[in-house]
Parts: sequence; C-alpha cells; structure tokens
Amino acid sequence: MNHYGPRLSGLIDALRRLPGVGPKSAQRMAFHLLDRDRDGAADLAQALADALTGITHCPECRMFCEDGHCAYCSDARRAAGQICVVETPADLLAIESGTGYRGCYFVLMGHLSPLDGVGPDELGLGQLETTLAGGGVQELIIAINPSVEGEATAYYLAGMGRKHGAKVTRIAHGVPMGGELEYVNASTLSHALSGRTPA
Amino acid sequence: MRRWNAWRSATAEAEMPRERVTLEPAWLLARRPYRETSALLELLTAEHGRVGLVARGASGARSKLRGMLQMFQPLLVSWTASGDLGTLTGVESAGRGMELAGERVFFGWYVNELLLRLLERHAPQPEVHAAYGTVVAALAGEGAETALRRFEVTLLEALGYGLPLEGVFDPSARYRWDPEQGVQPGGGGREVSGAALLALRSGQFEAPDTRREVQALLRTAIDRRLDGRELKARRLLREMRQRS
Repeated sequence: MNHYGPRLSGLIDALRRLPGVGPKSAQRMAFHLLDRDRDGAADLAQALADALTGITHCPECRMFCEDGHCAYCSDARRAAGQICVVETPADLLAIESGTGYRGCYFVLMGHLSPLDGVGPDELGLGQLETTLAGGGVQELIIAINPSVEGEATAYYLAGMGRKHGAKVTRIAHGVPMGGELEYVNASTLSHALSGRTPA
Repeated sequence: MRRWNAWRSATAEAEMPRERVTLEPAWLLARRPYRETSALLELLTAEHGRVGLVARGASGARSKLRGMLQMFQPLLVSWTASGDLGTLTGVESAGRGMELAGERVFFGWYVNELLLRLLERHAPQPEVHAAYGTVVAALAGEGAETALRRFEVTLLEALGYGLPLEGVFDPSARYRWDPEQGVQPGGGGREVSGAALLALRSGQFEAPDTRREVQALLRTAIDRRLDGRELKARRLLREMRQRS
C-alpha cells in the first residue's frame, strides 16, 4: 500500500495532522519542501521547535504567551479593571483587532457541554475565580458565542462575577452589519428585538 | 457490460435501499464536530425515531446551518440514508424555539442525554417525540420539574418499562414497591407512600413532598435502565450548584 520510504511517509503523516490536509495535499507539501524549498523546510522545522518550547498558556488568562510573558496581562490592561471572557484564542484576536477594547481577557478554550465531558475544570473556571477573588475587577464582560451551550456557560460566569462584586455585562447579539432581516434566523431576530436599545 | 451494471445496481439497491426523507419534524439532541467543517447530528424525529446524520459543511464559516442547528428549536429536516448514518440535505425552522437559560439548559441536556442513552436508532417513537415537544416547552416556565417527571414516565412506558401501578392505594399508607415488580407485600423493593404511587398514576406531581418522592422513584427506575452508567448532565449540574 505504502510506496514511500519510512522518512517520507513519516513526514507525510506528520503533515496530515494539519487541519484540512488529506493524503494528497500532504504528499504535495512534502515534495514541495524536499524538492523546491529545502531552506524553507529548515525554517519551518526551526520555527515549530521554537514555538513548542517557547509558547505556553498564560496561567492568568489561558491565552498563548511567549517565554512566560503574556501580551494581554500587562499592568496597563489590568488598570482598566475589565475582564472579557471568550471561548477561543481566535475570538480574543477578533475582539482585539476589531474593537477598541484594551482590558484583560480570559480564554475558556470551549464552552460547557456535558455530553462531550466539558465541565468547569476543563474551562479553567477555578483560575478565573481566583482572579476575581483577587479584587481589582470592576467589570466581567461575557463575550461567549450565542448558542444553547453558550447560554449555560454565561449563566455560571455571571453568577461568579456577581459573587465577587463585579458588574457583569454581556455583548449584544443580533443582526450583523450589512445583514438582511429577511434572512436572519428566528432566534437571532427575537434576540435582536428583545435587546433593542434607545435610538 | 450494460447488463452487468444493471445487475450490480439492482443488487446494491436491494441490499441498501436509499431512503429519502423530506421535511420531517425533528429536534436536535446532540451535535459533534466531524472532520474539518462537518458535524455529526443526533436527532429525534417524529416518524423515524432517533437518527444519526452527517451535516456536511455545517461548521464552516459561511454555513447557514450553524445558526439553524441548535438544540430545543423545532426543526424540519430532510435527509437521505442508506445504512445507519444518513446525510443531511436540508433544514428549516419549524417555529419559534425555546430560549432556555441557566439551569434550565441543564434540564434540557438531561432530557437529551436520557434519549441518547435509552433510544435505539431507527425505532419510531411518535409518542416520545410528542412528549419531547411538551417537556421542552415547559422547561422555560414554572412547571419544569413536573414536566420532567411526566416525560420520564412517558419515556419508560414507550420503552416497554411502564411502571406497575395497578391496584387500590391508600394515600396515607406505606407500601413496599419495586419499579418492575409493583407492590411487594412480602417485602423487597423500597418503601413508598400511597400518595406518591397515586401521583405517579395520575401524573399530578405538584405537591412538593410527593414530587420529591416521585422523583426518587423515577430515578431508581431510570437508573436501572442505564445499567449503572451516570448521566453527565446530572453530574455537571451538581458540580455547578456546588460551585455557586
């Protein structure tokens, strides 16, 4: 079945770990690196090794951080007294690049989902509780994706925030910019209507 | 060659009839990511019982299915199937769904997990589908606990494990009762009040004392069907209650 040598098949198998890469794409990538771009391949190997040793999760906000220094947990950001709770690192980056928010974050790495075995420990809620108990947090902003699982997660985050005397807010959800009411689904539309604000 | 092809397709069809279902009323029980952008769905349908479907591209950034495929929303689902797992071909909303919040989401998850554990795929259970609609509608309101108990009774009955509640019960008397054997005059089973047995029979669980007892009785009956496996929704709700 396998026509490659052990090294080549090892490389192809390793490349297939990447999302969206099947056997054919992995083979093309492997041949490209070996045949056309050996320097690039060496850079890639070096970058991967560096990333693995130098990048960890920040113990405070659970975002990726380099060499133990988290870009999102600076004293200047802490001074704002806000923590924005998001589900994934990609959500954090979306808020950071798309909005003017410059407070702290907390990345859950998922949402509550009992059927998949995701509970409070997997989401690091103990860590968030420690941060809240430490004081200095005036506002807990819940920026969880709107879904049934998100609702349950937000409910517990809100309870934790209130317990520690922080104001708890949730980002609005409704019709996207440039969207059309006709094509928005029913639950989004009913949220948009019930969450209307004075114009 | 043509004859051989005809023979081959005829036998393939005989072995695996390709079933096509359109706009079947359904509820989403569970959804797991599958491959890059697809999702594996477990649905409770009116005519086909519990079905497993692959929703291709459902988790993609541009997918319209993403907002649509939510739990506790009435759906109309179309699919094709030739074997155990089908392929989703369309979803439409079948009305306004339930906006569950906080602990009520856990109640809903509990109902879903119960169905995933106890229902076999492709066994039509129209009464369970109807009861699901009723319980989900009640979950957001005041009578959530009562509705859950009624759902448990219906589910046990539909699975062929209806509770043995024949006979005349004195509400103030105490009985030895077993969820499979019924009243045990010679001992065995657990001690229950006649009031709880009458409540179980009539489906009226509003009195708090009776409801607690009925809840414990139904739990014993359900746990027996689960063969000692713990329900994750139940455990997670307990954990979350301890935390807050």
